[in-house]
Amino acid sequence: MRFNLVLDVPDVPGQLLEVLEPMGRLGANIVAVIHQRDVKTERGTVPVQITIEGDKETLDKVMGALESKDIQILEVDGVLRKEQITTVLVGDIVEEDLQDTVSKLNQLKSVKVADLDLKMSDEPKNSATKMVIEADFGLRKEVLKNIKKLGAEKGFLVINEV
Amino acid sequence: MKIIILGFGAVGQGVARVISMKKDYLKNKYELNPQIVAVCDRSGAAICETGLDEELLIQTKNDTGKVALYPDYGHPDIDSLQVLDEVEYDCLVEVTPTDIDDGEPARSHIMKSMEDGKDVVTSNKGPLALSFQDLADCARMNGVEFKFEASVGGAMPIINFAHETLAGCEIESIYGILNGTTNYILSRMANEGSSYEQTLKEAQEMGIAETNPYQDVEGIDAACKIVILANSVLNLPVTLKDVEVEGISKITSESIALAKKEGLLIKLIGEASPDALEVSPRLVRLGSPFAVEGTLNVATLKTDLADDVTVVGKGAGSVETASAILSDIVSIWKIRK
Repeated sequence: MRFNLVLDVPDVPGQLLEVLEPMGRLGANIVAVIHQRDVKTERGTVPVQITIEGDKETLDKVMGALESKDIQILEVDGVLRKEQITTVLVGDIVEEDLQDTVSKLNQLKSVKVADLDLKMSDEPKNSATKMVIEADFGLRKEVLKNIKKLGAEKGFLVINEV
Repeated sequence: MKIIILGFGAVGQGVARVISMKKDYLKNKYELNPQIVAVCDRSGAAICETGLDEELLIQTKNDTGKVALYPDYGHPDIDSLQVLDEVEYDCLVEVTPTDIDDGEPARSHIMKSMEDGKDVVTSNKGPLALSFQDLADCARMNGVEFKFEASVGGAMPIINFAHETLAGCEIESIYGILNGTTNYILSRMANEGSSYEQTLKEAQEMGIAETNPYQDVEGIDAACKIVILANSVLNLPVTLKDVEVEGISKITSESIALAKKEGLLIKLIGEASPDALEVSPRLVRLGSPFAVEGTLNVATLKTDLADDVTVVGKGAGSVETASAILSDIVSIWKIRK
């Protein structure tokens, strides 16, 4: 059987090899690799498309190995594994402990803040932060609920996606 | 068809104007001959059983501010409920100013009319947002038509569109920009990078925002509309107090700039879905159907068969809103004739 994967790989030397290594080691055949370094995500990572072939057991082992190496699997056979949720918070972001805000969002299993942009204002309560949160597919509702709850606790205006 | 218009502000005058403009068209196309037999405002009424002159009504209102000064047929000492009692008519057009505390006087006007067996068309959000189910029950019990297309999105077709054009589809949820004033302010802030306070002031000077902009900018107006859609399209028996409302007054130019960097815009979105009944600022993607500018309204209906269907239109304006009222009048005529 075959798996078509889309992996999210950091744009630093040696990363592609890192991704391919468990495939070779565990005995999966690599059918195709599409790696275009100049096509990047907003976070500067490179989406790599790889097709691998093998029996189910081998392929499951490969998936397990990728996950244990913390390699982000974005898609399997066209089905999204991860999704990104963008949110903007308005309020006294720094005074309300930004680190705590992020770690509270990270608490949910397989959810992490992948990108954060902060814009300070002369008026501290007008400051804003934009966060890109990565979560396993299907967790969107729960993540949005958490963001709202957090916003209410810290007095932020929460602006979620539609 | 004999019509009484209660309320003669921008929308009421718009109704008189479109009836005057479309006389021949309505006669040729539908054999409909609408006659305005009475008009009331705060000053009293103008009443003529054989039909008032639409242009003279508008002129009288513009010149004097009072329909009671309509030549020969003006009645300064009569109130609207008396007019409903004494004048013979087929259809009430209720377009008095919206009141979101008790829905009056519109609620009483509509109830009385329906109890008297008359059809009703309204653009008035107040009574619909506060007691939709009572009004719908009252219409059903009395066997009358009750239509309110103009109450949501002005000229943008949505309620009749959902019921008639999308008949057969189950509508799962509705998302929309339902307030033109806030959309104008947010669009300007995104384009100019200006602050909320400054942009609001500018909108007020241009007559786009009202002197007291509270109901628009705090999302109350949009919340009323989401209640009407939830009831009439999704059959959810909710009222204004069930809506979670957050307006746009806390939106800063910083937050808009951050969103823009990511290819996103901030819009005041109303949502009626099984998950939520809310009005709040939300992120929408540039190039998506929600990325409309100016005072436009837009709504997306998520359906089971047709997938997403989006409508866009002018959310306010005298003749534009009156166009929706006229379409309701024509629908009633088609049923009654």
